[in-house]
Amino acid sequence: MTNLYAMLAIFAKAYGLFIFIGLSVAVIAYAYWPANRERFRKAAKAVLDEGEEDKPWR
Amino acid sequence: MKEIIRTLTTGERQAALAIAICVTVIGLTMAALGNGDPFGIHGYVVMAYGLVATIFLIRCYNLPPSNVDRAGSYYDEPIKVAVVFSLAWAVVGMLFGLWAALQLAWPSLSFDLPWSSFGRIRPDHTTGVIFGFGGNALIGTSFYVVQRSSRARMPDQVAPLFVVLGYNLFCVLGATGYLMGVTKSKEYAEPEWYAGLWLVTVWIVYLIIYLRTLARRKEPHIYVANWYYLAFIVIVAILYVVNNLAVPISFTRAKSYSLFGGVQDAMTEWWYGHNAVAFFLTAGFLGMLYYFMPKRAGRPIYSYRISIISFWGITFFYIWVGSHHLHYTALPEWVQILGMSFSLMLLVPSWASAGNALMTLNGAWDKVRDDATLRFMMVAAVFYGLTTFEGSFMAIRPVNSLSHYTDWTIAHVHAGSLGWVAMITFGSLYAMVPWVWKKPSMYSPRLVEVHFWCALSGAVIYVLAMWNSGILQGLMWRTYNEHGTLAYSFVDSVVAMHPYYIARALGGLIFLIGVLVCCYNVFKTVRTPVDAFGPARRKVEDALGPVPLPRPASSPLPRPAE
Amino acid sequence: MLFNVHYRLERRTTTLLIGIVVAASIGGLVEIAPLFTIEGTVEAAPNMRVLTPLEVAGRDIYVREGCYLCHSQMIRTLQDEVDRYGHYSLAVESKYDHPMLWGSKRIGPDLARIGGKYSDEWHVRHLIDPRAVVPQSIMPRYAFLAQRDLKTAELGENLAALRAVGVPYTRDMIDNASADATAQVAADSSGAAALLKRYGEATNVREFAGSTSRVTEMDALVAYLQMVGKQTNIEDDAGANKKPPDND
Repeated sequence: MTNLYAMLAIFAKAYGLFIFIGLSVAVIAYAYWPANRERFRKAAKAVLDEGEEDKPWR
Repeated sequence: MKEIIRTLTTGERQAALAIAICVTVIGLTMAALGNGDPFGIHGYVVMAYGLVATIFLIRCYNLPPSNVDRAGSYYDEPIKVAVVFSLAWAVVGMLFGLWAALQLAWPSLSFDLPWSSFGRIRPDHTTGVIFGFGGNALIGTSFYVVQRSSRARMPDQVAPLFVVLGYNLFCVLGATGYLMGVTKSKEYAEPEWYAGLWLVTVWIVYLIIYLRTLARRKEPHIYVANWYYLAFIVIVAILYVVNNLAVPISFTRAKSYSLFGGVQDAMTEWWYGHNAVAFFLTAGFLGMLYYFMPKRAGRPIYSYRISIISFWGITFFYIWVGSHHLHYTALPEWVQILGMSFSLMLLVPSWASAGNALMTLNGAWDKVRDDATLRFMMVAAVFYGLTTFEGSFMAIRPVNSLSHYTDWTIAHVHAGSLGWVAMITFGSLYAMVPWVWKKPSMYSPRLVEVHFWCALSGAVIYVLAMWNSGILQGLMWRTYNEHGTLAYSFVDSVVAMHPYYIARALGGLIFLIGVLVCCYNVFKTVRTPVDAFGPARRKVEDALGPVPLPRPASSPLPRPAE
Repeated sequence: MLFNVHYRLERRTTTLLIGIVVAASIGGLVEIAPLFTIEGTVEAAPNMRVLTPLEVAGRDIYVREGCYLCHSQMIRTLQDEVDRYGHYSLAVESKYDHPMLWGSKRIGPDLARIGGKYSDEWHVRHLIDPRAVVPQSIMPRYAFLAQRDLKTAELGENLAALRAVGVPYTRDMIDNASADATAQVAADSSGAAALLKRYGEATNVREFAGSTSRVTEMDALVAYLQMVGKQTNIEDDAGANKKPPDND
């Protein structure tokens, strides 16, 4: 158990920061990916336009 | 309530009855086993709860079914129940809070009864407002948001009702238990093992309903509010289970001992405690914000992208910060440092969310001026920004050395709970109540206005009083005189708190009055027939432009072709 | 292409769910799991005492009455706290605390080193009417504790449950729990001798609330309070060296 911990600690200290940077880059890239722009625009508008009637779609 | 039963088919009524009888039997068993222990008294509570439901269901069993087109409408009845419970708990929880506050100013107000001492009623306040008021509001609005944004009806008729009623049974067990001294002593997770087991059961059903509704959605993309609600549901479940691992001393007694001890227990508790703030009091209510604010303002979120980035930021960062509750304690220092660092980083997604909310209103300030409902949401976003900044600040070790253990923490918590959580909840409720009860507007927009000013002034008085007392307290504890000894005894600081404790109680009282006004307004909105809403009452809605008014679900309009 | 992955992630709710769980698990795992594995998180204290059944009952009352809501049991490594309350708390001192009672708010003073600081009589008078002892106090009155007989019959169950979560109670201790609870208020009794044999000579055996024949909840609570901070010899060992470690 202690060995496993030591291994993980070394790994976290060496690469932890890069993993965090990688994750944040991934999230930001996803959010700003040009191909996603239209989908997000639609999603943001969708709640304002929930159809003519207040009822489920099928 | 009868209307709800009428929407159920015979099979569903039987299922509901079976559940109610099961609860009654469980209660009876507990009562029989827990002879003389509070466990037995809780057995009677459970039994009474089940019995009321059983008798009600039997009496309504033969009611003719209503001709509501179930497939062609949303399922709003459980939402209505949750709203009523939410407001009822708000009153109960804040009354206990007010009483506790008054006891600190005048201790004889406990009347020297065992059940009414500060230590027993204080958890009633926290559970009442966080889980009773906040939790019911979250369940109610999440049912609303997930159905509307997915444009899908919730599956099953009985399960959502089970979630709402079952959840409230948990709250009742908690609140009655503390008065009898039944508590695990873990803050915000006080209810004993059996209440915890029951909550987990209810919560799993809740998660399943939520996921199944999402699975029926129209658009492939899941609207971001649901992400937040989903994080709230699933992470709270994990936190709660881990922090509540305990060994009961007997299966016929209420008491249990936490599985973890000492430093590990402290870390687990504050990992839970701070993430109750994160995923219960933040993520869930951000879900509310991201749905009801754009709806009410008639404008899409300023930046949908930022809402996604802050979602992952909050989900990832928050989990790390619990150890900032344990600065300078026996917790290893590296954990404290991690907690502090992540608390600072957390400011980025938090302010992104707050800024996003305020930018959404940019261009609709005239509406904010005219509409107290929207103003509730705006003030909530402002308080959210302020509180998250303060939180990150207080997580810095030297600052924490002053603020910890003092009323500054209480000020911070109430800036968050009164300013952010309660305000966004009231804003959302004022928007949602007319929609689910199919009314053109709230009964009285003026009373909403009254409530707004009560809530704002109450919160500000409260927070200012506690800021002052907290900093004063912290400074008194650490002041040395010229001889190098401590300048004040502890009781000196207690005496110095007295005026602030009175001011705090006053702030709380004003806030509570606002809530009572809200209850009256909601009651009148529900009771007033649609035709009786005069043109005057519609004025605010007119000024707002296209506030969506749902048609009655049973209207015989043709369904849109798909 | 890359973001088809995320597209599927949101199309399929369960995948989004897993994403949330993974993102939120990392922090907890990194911070909590090592506390169980790293040696040195909790210091060694070879002579650490366990609470007697009466003290356990007292601790349960402390929890029941919500004392922890106003009194912390965690002295931080800050000079003013050390000067006010005594040696800063070590992790080992709450090793057997299930749950811990570190607290989060000081409406009243810290109690981590309350044991032995005041006499039993002071505690009893103070609990019955705090303002009779400290006129400015805002603590509730706990006079009813002195009226209530302690339920000692089932204390073995409490000890057994504590043993299940890791407190080293022996079979002997569990079996004799209720007898030991009664014996602790009756010095010179044969039961008291057995109690001392089981729990060590340093155990407090006396009539905490002034009666040898009757065990009340007051006895239990005072017995517990007199033991808080006394389970290890930290304070005695530390002696004059009360300086906290390096602070920023």
